[in-house]
Formats: sequence, C-alpha cells, structure tokens
Amino acid sequence: MARGTKKARRRSRVQVPQPRYALRRGVVGGVLLMAFFLLVGRAVERQVLERDFLQNEGQRRYLRTVEMPAHRGVIFDRHHEPLALTTPVESIWVNPKQLPRTAQAPLARALGVSVAHLRKVLARNGKRHFLYLERRAAPKRVGRVRKAVHDNKITGVHFEREYRRFYPAGEVTAHVIGFTNIDDHGQEGLELAYDDWLTGRAGAKRVLKDGSGRVVRDVESIRAPQPGKDLVTSIDRRLQYLAYRELKAAVEKHRARAGSAVILDVSTGEVLAMVNQPSYNPNARRSGRDGRFRNRAVTDVFEPGSTMKPLIMSAALEAGVIEPSTRIDTAPGRLEVGGHRVRDSHDYGVLTPAGIIEKSSNVGISKIALQLTPDVMWRVLSKVGFGVSTDSGFPGEVSGRLPYFDRWSRFGQATIAFGYGLSVTTLQLAAAYATIGADGVKRPVSLLKQLQAPRGREVLRRDVVRTVRGMMEKVVSAEGTAPRAAIPGYRVAGKTGTAKKITAHGYAKDRYLAIFAGVVPASRPRLAMAVMIDEPRAGQVYGGEVAAPVFAKVMAGALRLLNIPPDGVQGEGLRLASSGGKP
Amino acid sequence: MNMAMQAGVKRGQRQVPPAFDYGLLGATLVLLLFGAVMVASASLAVADKTYGAPFHYLIRHGIALGLGLVAGLMASQVSMTQWERMGIWLYFLGLALLVLVLIPGVGRTANGATRWIPVGAFNLQSSEFMKLFMVIYISGYLVRRREEVSTSVWGFVKPMILLLVAAGLIMLQPDFGTTGVLMATALGMLFLGGVAVWQFVLLLGAAALSGVALVVSSPYRMERVTAFLDPFKDAFDSGYQLTQALIAFGRGGAFGVGLGNGIQKQFYLPEAHTDFLMAVIGEEFGLAGTLAVLLLFAYIVWRAFVIGAAAEKAKQRFSAYVAYGFGLWIGMQAFINIGVNLGLLPTKGLTLPFMSYGGNSIIVACMVVAILLRIDYETRSAGGRKRWRRG
Repeated sequence: MARGTKKARRRSRVQVPQPRYALRRGVVGGVLLMAFFLLVGRAVERQVLERDFLQNEGQRRYLRTVEMPAHRGVIFDRHHEPLALTTPVESIWVNPKQLPRTAQAPLARALGVSVAHLRKVLARNGKRHFLYLERRAAPKRVGRVRKAVHDNKITGVHFEREYRRFYPAGEVTAHVIGFTNIDDHGQEGLELAYDDWLTGRAGAKRVLKDGSGRVVRDVESIRAPQPGKDLVTSIDRRLQYLAYRELKAAVEKHRARAGSAVILDVSTGEVLAMVNQPSYNPNARRSGRDGRFRNRAVTDVFEPGSTMKPLIMSAALEAGVIEPSTRIDTAPGRLEVGGHRVRDSHDYGVLTPAGIIEKSSNVGISKIALQLTPDVMWRVLSKVGFGVSTDSGFPGEVSGRLPYFDRWSRFGQATIAFGYGLSVTTLQLAAAYATIGADGVKRPVSLLKQLQAPRGREVLRRDVVRTVRGMMEKVVSAEGTAPRAAIPGYRVAGKTGTAKKITAHGYAKDRYLAIFAGVVPASRPRLAMAVMIDEPRAGQVYGGEVAAPVFAKVMAGALRLLNIPPDGVQGEGLRLASSGGKP
Repeated sequence: MNMAMQAGVKRGQRQVPPAFDYGLLGATLVLLLFGAVMVASASLAVADKTYGAPFHYLIRHGIALGLGLVAGLMASQVSMTQWERMGIWLYFLGLALLVLVLIPGVGRTANGATRWIPVGAFNLQSSEFMKLFMVIYISGYLVRRREEVSTSVWGFVKPMILLLVAAGLIMLQPDFGTTGVLMATALGMLFLGGVAVWQFVLLLGAAALSGVALVVSSPYRMERVTAFLDPFKDAFDSGYQLTQALIAFGRGGAFGVGLGNGIQKQFYLPEAHTDFLMAVIGEEFGLAGTLAVLLLFAYIVWRAFVIGAAAEKAKQRFSAYVAYGFGLWIGMQAFINIGVNLGLLPTKGLTLPFMSYGGNSIIVACMVVAILLRIDYETRSAGGRKRWRRG
C-alpha cells in the first residue's frame, strides 16, 4: 500500500497542475464563508430586527398575571388576643392521569380513606387533570401524605398553598365571632357584620412563569394587595371562657335545652362576654342542627319574668306614686285584676317596696304598677331599651317586643310588671341592668372595644336607681330569692326571674325559664350580667336555684380577674358566704 | 513512545518554544469551557426536575471533557503515517460498530433512535466515530488513487459506495443530521481531491431531484421540511421547538439577559443543553455571544484549512486531506446546528461540536483537534528536516 501511495503521489505531482486544487479550495472556502455570513445575517435578523416580535411572542407564553392573596383581618379580643386569624394551610390535589395504580394503596392510607373509596373517586375523575383530594387539610395529614409521596416516589400528587380561617377559642367564641365560607366571606357573627372591614383586596402582579408553570421572577406589581383590617372586639377572652365554662356546666347539670349569658361593662356599654349553649366548633363545623349556629343571646327572645320588677319599681319611685317607706299589703297572696288573678307563691302579708323585690311578690309589684299610668310605665321601659334593638350591630339581632301602652288592659299592665306580655333578648336584659348599674345612664351596647366611654343618656333618676339597687341587694340575702347569687367579699345587686314557657296551648305548667340578672359590686357597679337558662329539666327550675349560681361563679372570677376591690363588709361577706352554701 | 515523539523531544531541546498552533488549541479550549458553562446553565433546572439532581448533566459533561482530554492526548501520539496505514481498517471498524448498534439487544434506544452501544457505564455512539474514520479513510483513498479519482468515474463511484453503505446504516438508526454531515464532508473532500466537476453536478442534481420527489410524494414530509420557514404558524405543534429557540434569540437582543437568567431553558425549549444550546447562548449573551461563537468556529475551520494547505505544500497530502476533512466536518456540523437554531434550516437533531452535552461528540471533537495539532506539528517538523517522515 505504501508503494502504491508513493507512486500515485509522484504521478500527481507531474500530471495535475497545482492551481486547480487551490481554486477548489477557494470554492470550498468561499462556500464556508458564505455559510458563515448567512449565519451572521440570520443572527442579526433574529436578535436585532425581529427582536420586538420575538420578545412579544415570548411574553405571550410566559408573562402571566397572578393574584396576590390579601389576608383577612385578625379579630382580637380587647387585650389583643387573637380570636380569629388566617393561617396558611395546604390543599392536596392529584392529576389522576399521572397517578400510578401502585400508588393508590399508600396514598389512601396516608389520606385516611379506604383504597376502594379512593379508587372510585379516581375512576370517576379519570379524564381530568386536576382533582382535589382534600382541601385545606390539617397539617398532620399533609405531613403524612408528603411522606408517603416521598417514600413511594408517587408522581402526580401536588400540594397547593391556601389560607383558612382559624378560631383559637373554638366553641367558646363561636357565636360572637361567627365563621367564613370557603371563599373567605363572613357567614355569621362579627365575621359577617364586619365582612367589608375584614376582607382584604387581592393584589395582582405580572410574573414570568417557566415551562412547568412555576413563577421564576416578578416583573411588576399591578396592584398591591390590601390586607383586611384588624378588628378589636370588646370581648375579654378570660371572661368569655369563664362564662362559657359555667354556663355549659349549668346547662348540663340541669339538663336544660339551651342557655345564654352576657356580661357588660357598666361604665362603657362594652360586651365583655357573650356565650350560648349549645355551641359548635367553628374550626370543624358540620351542620347547624338544633340551632347550634344561633347566637341566642341576641336572636332569641323570652319573657323576662320577675327580672322586670326593679325597673317597674324605679318607674314608680320616679313618678312618686310610692316612697321607699310605703307599705303595701300583699295578703292573701292573690289579686283580682280585670277578671284575672295574680298570684304569689306565699302570702307575704304587708311588705315594703324592698320586701317586694326581696321576696319577688307579683301581687305587690302589680299593685304598684297599677298606680302608674300606662304611658309613664311604657316610656320608662322603652327608654331602658325594651322593644328596641340594641346598637350592637350583630347580624340577626332582634328587637324583642314591648306592646304599645294604648293596647294595654289593666291585667296586661299588671303582667308586664312581673315580666309577661313582653319579650326581650338576654343582651337587652343585660343592657337594662347595666343602666341600673350606671346610676340610670344608658350607654349604647358595643361589641367593639371603645377607646373612650360613650357619654350615654340619663334615662332613670340617679337617686331612684341607687335606692332600687339597695333593694336588689336584699335578693341575695339569706331571706331573698337568690342567696346563691352572693359573692363573698362583694355586695351584689340582682334579681331572679322564673318564667313559665309559652307554648301553642298557652303557658306550660312544667316548662320554665330560669333567669338571673345583676350588677357587681353593688356600691359602685362595674359589671352587669344576665343569665338565662331555657327549660331546666333536672328538678330545680327557679332562677335563684339554676341561674343565680352561674352568675355568682362567673362574677366572682371576673371580679378577681379584673382586680376589682371588695366592697362588702368583712363580717357580712362571711355571713353571705355561709348562707350561700345552703341549698 | 513512537519515533515522531522522540523526534519532537529532540527538536524541543534545540528550539524553544516548540512550534505549535496555540491559536487553534486556545480557541478549542475556549469553546469547550464556554460550552460546559452553558450546559450547566441550560441543564440545571431540567436536571433538578427530572432527576432531582441539578448537576446530573454537568457532572457527566465534566467526565466527558476529561475523557476527551485523554482521547485527544492518545490521538496525538499516533503519527499521520500510522493513521494513513490504518485507514481502511478504521472504516471497517466503524462499519462493524454501526452494524452492532442495529442488532437488537446490543444497541440502546432513546427518543426513538438507536444510536448507542453500552460499554460499561459509557454509551458509545458509533456514528460519531464513523465520521472520524470516514475522513481518515477517504483521505487515504484520495492519496492512493489520486489519478483514478480525477480521471475515471469508477474512482469516484468506489468511495461513494462505501460512503453510502455507512450513510445507509446511520439512516437506519435513524440519524438524518449525522448522515447529512457525513455525506457533505465526504463529498467536499472528494471535490477537493480532484473529482471531475460534471460528476458532482450530476450527483447533486440527482440528489436534489430525488429529494424533491421524496418531499412532494408525501405531504407530511413537505410539511415537516417547510415548517421551519414559518414556525409561528403552528407554534404549538410542529413549530414548537423552533419558535422557542427563536424567542430565545429575540429575548437575548444585542447583549443578552445575562448568564443564568434565560427563561426559555426553563422547560420551554426542549433539548436546550444538547441540540439547542446555541439558543440558550443567544438568549443569555445576545448577539455578542452568538457572534463570538460563530467567530470561534470560523477561526477553527480556517485554521484547519491553513494547516491542510501547509501540509499540502509540505507534500503531506494525506495530512492535508485529513485537515480539510476535519475543517469541513466541524464547519458543516456547526453550520447546520446553528442554522437549525436560527431557523435557517429544517429542524434536525445535531450537536454543536465542542459545546453541546454529549460524551461522544466531545471526545471525537477533542480527537479531531488533537490530530489537527499533530498535523501542524508534523508539517513544521517536515519543513525543518525534509525527509524525516520516511525515516
């Protein structure tokens, strides 16, 4: 081969002239040079001349406008403890087309469902690319699914960041705070009442997304997200817990149908606590069966019974029809009015106004009320807020009913005096007692924390109210109807109420409402509380037996929590304590 | 150690520094390093998503560069006389490898093409080596049958048959891009070797006619061929890859968006780290980057031809044809690859020499440059001591 090569080379040197190959080289070089300039030209064309067109085409593909979620505002109690807040959670979704069959078993285990169920759901959505397995899943569940996905190398399962409302106090504040729906809009309670205030406005921004849809860069902000504003309520979480615990215990103990309790700050009109039974867990609510979602303290009305008596007494004293020293004969414990009969449980004989309150004499209060003209009596009751919605602004609040005086019969006027023939809410009752506590000054009820106490309006005469409060202190004495409402070391002014429930066939014989309303400390009241327990069915039915202990327990705790100094005389306090222990 | 190197060592002692094409070596190293950087930039996101290991491709590319260095050093140890002597055997070795790939159970298939023979952890791509062997074989043939080539038809047809056999085997994989480069390189070499012009005209005419017939006979081929002319017409199907590449160039503008800032490589542009690496360069370094790469390739091709011309002048015809062949090959492959990226040519898969991810391509390219450096070195030595090559 080497020989052949040598020969060929020698021949070529002789026969073929060199320039021809140089020309061919030149041709090839020229072609390559042309190719080079072709590329240069094309590159210039693409990168300079068509630049705008191509960049625009690119932007159409990866420039996207995405929403920036705005947080809903936090709802706080008066000490800035959160009662409702928005927390990031994750939703688990799957692309059924990408999920391998072998992954179904471990995935179902992690999700806490049966394999058969998961298989059925997947089969039903087999044609889709997106299917929620669980929305806003609990962090624990998400962790388990994440681990299963990782351990078994499952494809097609994804996690999506979402936000959900969380209520740290759960069922304790459920009725006041309410809840939101899946779209983060208020459905009940303060969440509904202040929805606009709490709702943020989602922002928008332009981003670059990569080929798999992930955001790789922010380009510009179109609209900054406006987070919802926070709401500071008047609720004191500690008092709320206390009231809830005691109300729940009482409702259970007396096998009652329902119950409500409201605590008001006498000097500001703020609602410090508002609780109901039955309640629900707003973090895992199911259905509003048996009216669990209802904030009974403002939506349900009842006849207030004897808790009306101090107000009638105030009206009478103010009108001058009686004096604190007036003596009224209640014998023989019944009274005929317009063909109907008013009864007392005992014959109390001759009583002073204080005695009428202490013993809760229907005959006595009827006799006093009938000395008033209906318009005067109506005006006083209306001024303290009966028949008128409070200013709480709570959704679904009702105004109760106070019939206009021109339709009152004499017997009707008498029954209103001991709390029948009109209806009130627990909140209205508490507000009326707060007015008694505030020496006759009525302040608007507020569920939001007030920066300063509202001026209020004097609706009852100061000296009269103080006198009546003195009478109400006797109620918790050993001789009164509610010795169990007494609090050691403090003076308590209150009034029991036991109302027969009204049914389709008139007043039921064996179904009662047990009510207690009062203010503490009686010398200079700071707190007003109304407790209503619907249908106690465990034997005891009287307000002094069922509702008064709730009042005493909650107020004792509240006075301590709020550092309110005792005003009760040491000896008297001890005496009250010992008498309070008797059934 | 062979004699050539011994001679070199002696020469090196006398003459400092040793004559050597530093420009070619430098340009190659710049392309290799820049290529590695761009492979990293283009593949990190994709590798992370596919394998959960962002450096998956980069590590393999680094290993390929190491192997390429070793292969280059080894290739440089072989004298041109030895290459010339091995020519025909290398051709049959290449042919054997091409056949081996097609045997079921031996060849490895990926993306619908059977191109690789697994050798331990390494996958050998026989067609890459066939290009190298073909250049060496044809160079040897042109030297041996110089007269026949320029005077008789048979002298042109004989190598064409061998070429078509190899091309046919590569088509079976299928790998149209490599077939094209192989054919164009071989034909260019035959042209330079003195094949009569009328034969070329006839061949190119026949090829053009058959090509037209093939395209016209089936509309889908026509569509695929013409899709590149207006890729935005069908941007989400046949024109998808090209539109994404063009958008990358457009986004780059004059000076680019900066290294690592490219968007197109982030799951928009498929094969960004292999066949469409140029688009990533265009996006991240703009027209400046594109032109720099073009100039480096032009420089390398030019050096190959200068080295070839010098060898021809030194009466080392074999070396000269090898150098021309390598120049044509590198130039052609770079042209086709960049042309495809820029939408100048129909979309065909082909790596960018020295730069794209792909072990075989890197290793063979390193060997090509090593052999070019060897030719340059031998030519200079021959210039100093005329007849040493025989000794």
